[in-house]
Formats: sequence, C-alpha cells, structure tokens
Amino acid sequence: MSQDPTLERYSRQMRFGGIMEKGQRKLLASRVTLCGCGALGTVMANALVRAGIGFVRIVDRDFIESHNLQRQVLFDEADIAANLPKAEAAARKLRVVNSSVTVEPVVTDIDRTNILELSKDADVILDGTDNFEIRYLINDVSVKLGKPWVYGGSIGGHGQTMTIIPGQTPCLRCVFEAAPAPGEAGTCETAGVLAPIVSIIASFQVAECLKLLTGQPETINRELVYIDVWENITRRIKIAPLLGKVDCPCCQRKKFEWLEGEMGSQTTSLCGRNAVQISHRCAAKLNFEEMASHLKQMGGEVSFNRFMLKFTAEGHEFTVFPDGRAIIKGTNDIDKARVLYAKYIGH
Amino acid sequence: MPIKVHIPQAMRQHADGQASVDLAGANVKEVLDALGQKFPNIVGRIFDNGQVRRFVNIYLNDEDIRYLNHLESATKDGDVLSIIPAVAGG
Repeated sequence: MSQDPTLERYSRQMRFGGIMEKGQRKLLASRVTLCGCGALGTVMANALVRAGIGFVRIVDRDFIESHNLQRQVLFDEADIAANLPKAEAAARKLRVVNSSVTVEPVVTDIDRTNILELSKDADVILDGTDNFEIRYLINDVSVKLGKPWVYGGSIGGHGQTMTIIPGQTPCLRCVFEAAPAPGEAGTCETAGVLAPIVSIIASFQVAECLKLLTGQPETINRELVYIDVWENITRRIKIAPLLGKVDCPCCQRKKFEWLEGEMGSQTTSLCGRNAVQISHRCAAKLNFEEMASHLKQMGGEVSFNRFMLKFTAEGHEFTVFPDGRAIIKGTNDIDKARVLYAKYIGH
Repeated sequence: MPIKVHIPQAMRQHADGQASVDLAGANVKEVLDALGQKFPNIVGRIFDNGQVRRFVNIYLNDEDIRYLNHLESATKDGDVLSIIPAVAGG
C-alpha cells in the first residue's frame, strides 16, 4: 500500500484489485465532463469526486426546486432558499467533500455550439441529462472526438444504461436510431421517478467510468442493461452485434446531424410577447389525448382540440401544436423555456 | 408453451394495464400481429407505416431482432419477446 499520505483517503478503493494505486493515480489525473446534474447527475458527481477523479466539470442549466430533493442527492432546502443553480450548488457541496480535486461548475444549456468546448479536454463524458436532444449531441461529439461516454436514463421504476466506445461498441444511434418524438417518451414530471432506480443506473455509469479512466476498456459492460426495481426485472440485451450491422449515420457514415444542426430543436424568443417558441426540425405527430391524460395526472388544467393543446404549469401557459412546436408564455428566457419543454413535453 | 411478450410501462395503458401476455406466432411479426389483434391501440405505439418505430427496439430472448432476421426472426414456444423503448428521464 502507498506511503503517500494524499492517497490515504482512497485506501479502501485502492485495496480493490481493479483499481490499486496505479489505477488511483490514473483517476487523479483524469478529467470527466458530466452533462446534467439532476437525479442521475448528482449521484454520479458525488461518486466521481469521492473516488478522486482529478477534474470534474459539472454542466447544468437548471435551478433547484423542492420536488428535486426526493432524488437529487446533493441538494437541500438551503440551496433552494439561496436560489442556487444546480451546477453551483453541487460544486459547493463536493468541494467540502474532497478539496483535493477540481470541480468546475458550468451553468449553461448544452447545445451544439458549446458541446465541443465542454467535452474536448474530457477523458470520458457522462450522461446525466433528461432528454434525447442532448444525448444525441453527446453521441455525435463522442464519435467525432473518439471519446467514450456512458448513457443512462431512468423513469418510473426502470432505467437503462450502456457504454459507448467509438469504433469498439455500437453508438447510441446504432441502438436507438432516432429520438422519441416530443411527448412520446414520457418525462419524470409526467410519469414520475423513484430514487432507487436513479441511484442504480447512475452507479452503473460511474463504475463504467472508473473502468475507462483506469485504462481497462476490456472490462466494460457491452450490453444494454435494463433494470426495473418495481417489477424485479433485470435484462442484459446483447447489442454488440449491431456494430457495423446497422447503417448508422453517426458512427458508420460520420454524419453528425445533431452537432451540425440538421436535427434538434430551434428556439425563438417572441419579441414583445413574453413568450418563447420551440420547434423541431424533425416534425413529430403528437397524441394529444395521451399527453392530456399525463398532464391531468399532475393536477393541471388541460384542454385540447385537433389543432392545439393548452395547459398551465409553473405559472406558464403552454400552447402545443401537433408537430411538437410549442409556445411557452410568461418568459423571454430561452434556456428556461427549454427546461420547461423538456420537463413537461419531453424530447 | 406460448411466447411471452413483455409490454413496457409506457405502453400498458393500451394493453389493459398488463405487463406481459402469452401469444402464439411462428415469427416476431406474427407474434406482434397477435398482440395488435388483442390490443389494437398498441399498434401505433410500436409501428409507424408497418416499420418498428425508430426509438422502440424489439428483443427476442435479449437479442436485438435487427441482427437476427428483423420481423421475420423465427420464434418458438418458450421464447420471450421484449418491447423496449428508449428511456429519456434523468
């Protein structure tokens, strides 16, 4: 065991044969970009900093609300009272936990204009986001830069995770060829989510990250892991044969459609109307009946006809059109509107 | 012994709330057709113009049908067919 006193705090982790002092030194010299610091993100950030990852960049666009506290483990009531952004609140907590590593909070909306900059110095990118638009952006950047990333998603009592090493494993677009249309995948706001499944999926993601950062890609999980803690289901889906078998635009043809702006959403602040419009390049065909039933479960006022659906949430009036376009009233802040869209409509 | 089809949470409202059903069929398409006959409203959640929707995957005994024989992949008694859509939340 090392005589280096700075490593003492990691002694139990170093006793584990998969890490040891050699691996710990690699972790301390590693850089991770964590995209999203909500439920999955807080669990991952906590584990990464405690494990001694030398540099952890936490990127998140959102503020903390009381309904986050049930599962977003780094936040508390004082953070809400202080109106702190999630990335900043997480960094403050984690610097107290481990002052010997660098935690860099970045309060921003990840989009195609900044994701390269946020990712280019990272050894691994971790997915703590709540929407597929950013996940496909991460996937594009990962393949373009040849950097591994770990996908994770959870909703209700179930979740999924898979690890992507460009060229060695299928990428996200090999496995899920397209993003669910707005309103079709459900969100944690509309379908709810249990903290235990979040912790399990995020912990899987961190374990994968440790394997990658310590230079042991041969040990990674090469399957799509699906877990449902409520129905007691664990599935390991064999996805490795998809590599090269599907004509993937991203990892086979190197077409980075999300990064280049051919896919994704467009947002416009509607001048003088205190409203933001969000539209998608890839038109959806929303099922208003289904959306309304989810939204009503949240106790909101919802009405729709075949042309539009209207509802109110968090003091904002949403007008949603069948192609997924939405006008969100009560704000001119594009980032806030995107947060609201991801929460209540999903994409 | 029939083929067990697992229905994801997000689609159960179109399947009388059931988590799984036992159905018969010689290949994946026949089994999913049988599912559609039993629960007509689920068809649009799985298929778009006869193709499996691009964010929904079909797994036969935990193998992706895209590297088997797609919807023509042969099924036999005791097989498990899982419909798994992408999970967005985080």
